[in-house]
Amino acid sequence: MFAATLLACLFSHSIAASEPDLRDEPELARQAAGQTVYFNAWGGDFAINRYIDWVAGEVEKRYDIRLVHVKVTDIAEAVSRIRAEYVAGREQNGSVDLMWINGENFAAMQHANLLWGPWAEELPNSRLIDWQGNPTTRIDATLPTGGYELPWGTATFTLFYDREFVSTRVRNPDDLLCWIEAHPGRFTYPQPPAFLGTAFLKQLLILLTEDTARLQEAPGDDFQTLSAPLWAWLDRAHASMWRTGRLFPRSGPAQRELLAAGELDWMMSYNPAEASRAIRQGLLQDTVAGMVFSNAALSNSHFLAIPANASAKEGALLVANFLISPLAQIQKADEARWGDPSVLDPNLLTAEQLSVFERLHQGGATAPLPKRRVPEPHPGWSAALERAWLARYTR
Amino acid sequence: MTALILDNVDLRIGSESLFDPVSIVVPPGVVAVVSGPSGAGKSSLLAFISGTLPVALTSSGRLVYGDEELTELPAEVRGIGILFQDPMLFPHFNVRGNLLFGMRAGGSRRERRRRADAELDAVGLGGFGDRDPFTLSGGQKARVAILRVLLAEPRALLLDEPFTTLDNANRCKVREFVFSEIARRGLPAILVTHDSGDAAAATGPVIRLAPAEGSPR
Amino acid sequence: MLTVSLMPALAGLVAALVLGLDGGALQRVLATPGVGLSIGTSLWTGIAATVLSLLIAHFAVAAAFTGRWRTRLTALSLPLLTIPHLAIGIGLALVIAPSGLLMRLLSPGATGLERPPDWLLVQDPLGLSMIGGLVLKESCFLILILSVALAQVPATRLLQQARTLGYGPLQAWLSVVAPALQRQIRVPLAAVLVFGISNVEMAIPLGPDLPPTFSVLLWRWFTDPDAMIHAQAYTGSLLLLLINVLALVGFFTAGGAFRFFWRRESERGQRRRCEAPQRIGIGVGLTVGWVIGTLAIVALFLRAAAGAWPFPSVLPALQHGETLRDVLQSILPVARSVAGSTLLLATGTAFVTTLLILPAAEKAAHDTRLRGNIGALLFLPLLVPQMTFLFGVQVLLTRMGLDGTYAGVLWSHAIFALPYVWGIVASARSAIDPRYDAVSRTLGASTLKTYLQVSVPLLARTLLLAIALAFAVSVALYLPTLFVGAGRIATAATEAAAASGSGSSRLAAVHAMLLAAAPLAAFALAYGIAATLFRSRTGVPR
Repeated sequence: MFAATLLACLFSHSIAASEPDLRDEPELARQAAGQTVYFNAWGGDFAINRYIDWVAGEVEKRYDIRLVHVKVTDIAEAVSRIRAEYVAGREQNGSVDLMWINGENFAAMQHANLLWGPWAEELPNSRLIDWQGNPTTRIDATLPTGGYELPWGTATFTLFYDREFVSTRVRNPDDLLCWIEAHPGRFTYPQPPAFLGTAFLKQLLILLTEDTARLQEAPGDDFQTLSAPLWAWLDRAHASMWRTGRLFPRSGPAQRELLAAGELDWMMSYNPAEASRAIRQGLLQDTVAGMVFSNAALSNSHFLAIPANASAKEGALLVANFLISPLAQIQKADEARWGDPSVLDPNLLTAEQLSVFERLHQGGATAPLPKRRVPEPHPGWSAALERAWLARYTR
Repeated sequence: MTALILDNVDLRIGSESLFDPVSIVVPPGVVAVVSGPSGAGKSSLLAFISGTLPVALTSSGRLVYGDEELTELPAEVRGIGILFQDPMLFPHFNVRGNLLFGMRAGGSRRERRRRADAELDAVGLGGFGDRDPFTLSGGQKARVAILRVLLAEPRALLLDEPFTTLDNANRCKVREFVFSEIARRGLPAILVTHDSGDAAAATGPVIRLAPAEGSPR
Repeated sequence: MLTVSLMPALAGLVAALVLGLDGGALQRVLATPGVGLSIGTSLWTGIAATVLSLLIAHFAVAAAFTGRWRTRLTALSLPLLTIPHLAIGIGLALVIAPSGLLMRLLSPGATGLERPPDWLLVQDPLGLSMIGGLVLKESCFLILILSVALAQVPATRLLQQARTLGYGPLQAWLSVVAPALQRQIRVPLAAVLVFGISNVEMAIPLGPDLPPTFSVLLWRWFTDPDAMIHAQAYTGSLLLLLINVLALVGFFTAGGAFRFFWRRESERGQRRRCEAPQRIGIGVGLTVGWVIGTLAIVALFLRAAAGAWPFPSVLPALQHGETLRDVLQSILPVARSVAGSTLLLATGTAFVTTLLILPAAEKAAHDTRLRGNIGALLFLPLLVPQMTFLFGVQVLLTRMGLDGTYAGVLWSHAIFALPYVWGIVASARSAIDPRYDAVSRTLGASTLKTYLQVSVPLLARTLLLAIALAFAVSVALYLPTLFVGAGRIATAATEAAAASGSGSSRLAAVHAMLLAAAPLAAFALAYGIAATLFRSRTGVPR
């Protein structure tokens, strides 16, 4: 008995020794120095990639950490790679140290116990996060994050249109359908399961379903009836959409380029400042403006997570801590850089930091804040909608 | 019945002539002989006559058939057949296919086949129509090549040492066959050879290609 | 060398078999919406592109080698040959899209359009744009292979013989030289067919969607976080192998039938008198294809430089106050992030393959049969769809701890570069007169000295081209880099595919530009050095 206790003590001690101490930043920095952190993050956008480049420079300067941005098409790629590593028996020294993740990918990793944690609420800078004011910081598509994910930015589903060609006001799906049918070939959405495409389906479902509370539970036998209005809307819209609904852009940026080239009059984004930033960078005509479905705007946070088999956990923690520092969040919120809204609680910032946030210029194309935000539906809905969409619209 | 005439033919690489200019009249049914040391330009002369002169060579002089000027015509409309030292049977055709490819167009498939088979019969190759040319002996290949060129009904014939690869027994037979066909059809012919026996069997004029003045060759 | 090439391919295949034989997964694969159409699209695009490329290559070679374009044909096809599929695909999409370069050149002047029309031209459901992209690349490849095969065929004399039988040069070439050449290129042709059916490089930018081609479907499954769907990728890759085997059998059976009818046609003895219309037709067709291919490369550079590029302006306008330096500043960091790894792998691949090939080429220098056998064996991995054995290779390398390492990726690149380098070096080595060797030895030089001072210098020009070719092959490889590199090794190819698969075309264009520039630079360098080597020695083989 005694021996067993001793063993257990030794065992737990050895675990503790290998686990980084989150609150002790200097010790963490000592261990992390010289580490290479493989940050797997979507790499489909120039501005975001450049922002991560800037972060890499900063953490190199501050902590002597080499941050490598592994640009993925979809974070699902990294999830499957980690899974393959576990199949091959690699439970340490994995190839991913830090990942940009949310929604069903988080659910998948959490379900398979592939994430390391909890750590998110113990980082030095995490006390600045607006945990109370913004519930999406703790709940990712109805799943409690439990400290396995660190909120990095917030998002609201936003539609952008070219004012030169869209003059009527669009407040709801009916208005939108009206416009689409009056202007054939000028509207489309990214092809599900691209996340913006799926987001569009979810936003429509929220608007077309009376019972939004039901969407917080996993879909069941009632999926058909609940989603029926959505399919009816899509069936009608596709007939008048870009390429008559037979081809879809593969992502948000692809759609933005079509808008810039004049093939489309609409695009969509989770980032209300996307168009302002793009206009500032000369990527979009300045006649573009933003709108949200004010009564029920789909909103979420996006997160950072560390895989259980990460090789450089200390480095990943320090990078994550830096990413939610006021400096990094200010830079990220700046439309000249990325324009992604901050997750920090304004009340906890110094007056100086707050004034910098407030002085950040907001472009004319940024959508007004919605009256009511609706959190993400249960991740089961994303999967079910994507499956049903593919089955319905694949020839 | 018409003669083949070479008038002052001169072949050059750059500004250097291969040989002194050649002039000759080959009457119908007669085999003229071109001889000379190797590298003298014998094969180039035949290439000039057949119209397949490599672009590296320039030529002057005229080639006339009867009163028809051939000098500038492309090879395929000159109607001058050529037999090489190597019989050059097309490997992807069978023996009959080689003959049919050579045979002038016209007639039904069955008639053409019957005619090809009859020609094979006449030269002792009856039943060889379906054979792969690769499996034939040297003498047999030579005979097929000759039939093929004759079936194209040429107006004149060039022989580029076509008998040198054959053994003595075959050599006489094949040569005899070719020369008699030339005489029977009244074709003007030019034979290039090293072999004194071949040269002696020919009845026509003999040209010795002499290296041109100042030529290194 | 054969171990390097065949072992992983074979092991990968076995691993794929073990992982892929799963009844449940097969049922899910077959229940995927549109899977039948997806397989059909893969087969149709692959076969159609191969047939068209083969015909175009034969016509081009026939017209050029019986006319005055002999050297120009290979020179003109070199850019399209060396620029990777992915770059050509991304560029072609930028040319033929409704808001693409062609429509911009014609608008609004010729079309009267102020806004791009809503036409389904790129990624069309029939896969025509994808076939076009494949044909641009594969016809150039087959032209190269046909020109190399010419050395094995007495083309000049066959041609002379047929012409003196009264056939025009074009008809003569196609009736007697082309069939002889065709026998020589069967193995590379099979590789073209397999690539056509199972590639993702052209299918991502140009292929249809809903459903996509079968290989793109597999590629998406492979990157799906759901383990069930992931398993479908393994099973699907075996199905892809089966499809390819069936296609190969069908293709070569049909080829036999075609040869039969072609022979029968030739046996009619019909001489075509005038070949000018055919010649003009071939010339015009090749010119149009070449211009579109060149425009695709131009479009890459324009798109990479353009922030906004509103229709219908042909040249992207610099935005307010933006200078060329600003454009470069936004492009350079992107290019720089992959330039190192891309060039390192390419140089390494060139180095390793050349070192592996040289001793084997020496051994097979005067043994035609050995040369042919090694060539065929090295080509074997190319006859298996990349996906099929790469899935297995990835699992194996992960077990060996080699996944995500440069060594592993280099190894996989060598597999793909070896057959091409072998084809060039081995035949060039065998073409060197053995008496040079004998003379050197009788003059008292050792074997090594003879090799280094006689054989290698005589081979130098070929070696330079082979090195450039291995370099180009490595730069182009996407799937091997993705799978074996475990996503940790980013090259221009992986980044361009990722951006093209779901991202901005500008990002894709920047990487594709690098993809295009690297091999072009390598070949320019190789030709430059080759031209200055032994400049005053006419007898050194070129």
